[in-house]
Amino acid sequence: MRTPSTLRVLVVTVATIVLLVLAVLLGLVVGPTSISTQRIVGDALSHLGWGHSTLTSLQSTIVWQLRAPRMVLGLLAGAMLAVAGGTYQGVFRNPLADPYLLGVAAGAGLGATLAIVNIGNGTSVPAWTPLLAFGGALVAVVATWVIGARGIRSTPATLVLAGVAVSALFTSAQTFLQQQSSTQSIARVYIWLLGSLASASWSSVEIVVPYVGVCVAVCLLAARALDVMSVGDDEARSLGVSVRSIRLLVVGASSLGTAAIVSVVGLIGFVGIIVPHIVRLLVGTSYRRILPLSVVFGAAFLVVCDTLARTVMAPSELPLGVVTAVIGAPVFVVILSLRRWGTT
Amino acid sequence: MVSLSHVELRAGSTTLVHDVSLEVARGTWCTIIGPNGAGKTSLVSALAGLRALDGGHVSIDGQRLDHLKERARARLVAYVPQHPQIPTGMSVLEYVALGRIAFHGVMRPPSSGDRAVVDGVLERLALAGFREREGTSLSGGERQRMVLARALAQSTRVLVLDEPISGLDVRHQMDLLELLKKEVAECELTVIATLHDLTLASLFTDRMVLLDHGRVVLDGAAHDVIQSEEMQRSYGVALRIVNIDGADVVVPVRKVYP
Repeated sequence: MRTPSTLRVLVVTVATIVLLVLAVLLGLVVGPTSISTQRIVGDALSHLGWGHSTLTSLQSTIVWQLRAPRMVLGLLAGAMLAVAGGTYQGVFRNPLADPYLLGVAAGAGLGATLAIVNIGNGTSVPAWTPLLAFGGALVAVVATWVIGARGIRSTPATLVLAGVAVSALFTSAQTFLQQQSSTQSIARVYIWLLGSLASASWSSVEIVVPYVGVCVAVCLLAARALDVMSVGDDEARSLGVSVRSIRLLVVGASSLGTAAIVSVVGLIGFVGIIVPHIVRLLVGTSYRRILPLSVVFGAAFLVVCDTLARTVMAPSELPLGVVTAVIGAPVFVVILSLRRWGTT
Repeated sequence: MVSLSHVELRAGSTTLVHDVSLEVARGTWCTIIGPNGAGKTSLVSALAGLRALDGGHVSIDGQRLDHLKERARARLVAYVPQHPQIPTGMSVLEYVALGRIAFHGVMRPPSSGDRAVVDGVLERLALAGFREREGTSLSGGERQRMVLARALAQSTRVLVLDEPISGLDVRHQMDLLELLKKEVAECELTVIATLHDLTLASLFTDRMVLLDHGRVVLDGAAHDVIQSEEMQRSYGVALRIVNIDGADVVVPVRKVYP
């Protein structure tokens, strides 16, 4: 058996970039107010000094203040969740790893529930929610690391098990809080948990951009180290890789980036697990190919899912987490039947 | 020169290796033999710097391994584990090139010099025709040669191997050991290996160290160690040593039942 050819990798890369461009256009063009692609592109070019805009002020606001930040936040969330999932799968050598493996979801869920139940009045999601969700996610990951990665006998498996324990603890605390709260609060918590880009704005984009930028860059820079670590911890160390430092760095970056995204958009499942697997099927198992392509494909995938979320049942909107699950679950089943990972 | 000084290794309350001191000169092939559970694998993983010592120290050319970072250590000693993990989807070329990571680092791609070293090793080990093949698709013998190629690509003076010929048929065992012998002769490589096959060990080895219950029982020329009564005692089985054309062949003797 031969490894994927350079031509194949090139074709997949070009196709993924084309998909991203189409997703961006889809995110800007599709909506209740019909505005053509040419007019949106013409307006964008006019901002750069080429030609003139034919959009009305209202249309310009719809495109650049409502759809564009939502689309950009979708790109950032998709890119971050996909690259974090791919990185976790590499660093833990576990094909089932996703960005929520070490308790980010449970921690963020507990933080958001605390905000909604204790601070909010049950009718709206309080402004403190993202901050408490972010804090909860970080506390959970740090607790997992402290419990699972101490001592010379720590392994990826001990870290994953610590993640399971911390997640269970945080989820129980969240359930207890929900049990003590009103029906309205419980509904708000569930809406948050299912994830959405509906509240996206340029300010939320500004909040997550630095985290996503730095964390994605760290994950991409660690791709070669992840390839070496695929031979196992001891062999990677014998080859000259500081396994513990790399693991701390990439787990930290993936978790921080994921926490930042989750705190703004809620929990969006499946992106971090299916995107790297789809890419792996197409271009092979090297993380130097998987991670950059997962960034691009994950970004495009989430924007397409969000477009479906806001159009399938328009004027009402489906939770984004439901759309990614409806698409992700069957895709994952197909991937399982074609799986190609691990070591011998 | 590889030097072990009063090395102690423990697992919980069990002592695996007791106060082992050895010196292996450059260009020597030293084989560590001993029954299962003697502490051979623990000792070689400590020699490769992969296991924290509970006492003593290991040094190569005067540099203590526990004072070195992984990258510096990987430029001094290469390690072939008993059960190497071959990642799915990784080509032979990519796998062997992992041996150059200590030189170019994890942030940079291999230099033209690194690529030349890898090409040279692939050529020497007759793997050039398999460059683009997936490592997992190779036969057992080819796969073990690929693992050895990765270790040789590290361009170290010292190579530590843990049971490198287990699971191979006799032809592939001979091929691999001949390759190693050639590297020892041509590149002044110091080889420290564990082997269970005593006949093959005596055929290829300059020096043999018999380990039993974590202690060095005997240390000397292969012929002397093979002929010793201590070896039969350590293995707990009667052995006949037959000399065929100057080579010692170890034949276990069956028990006689009444």
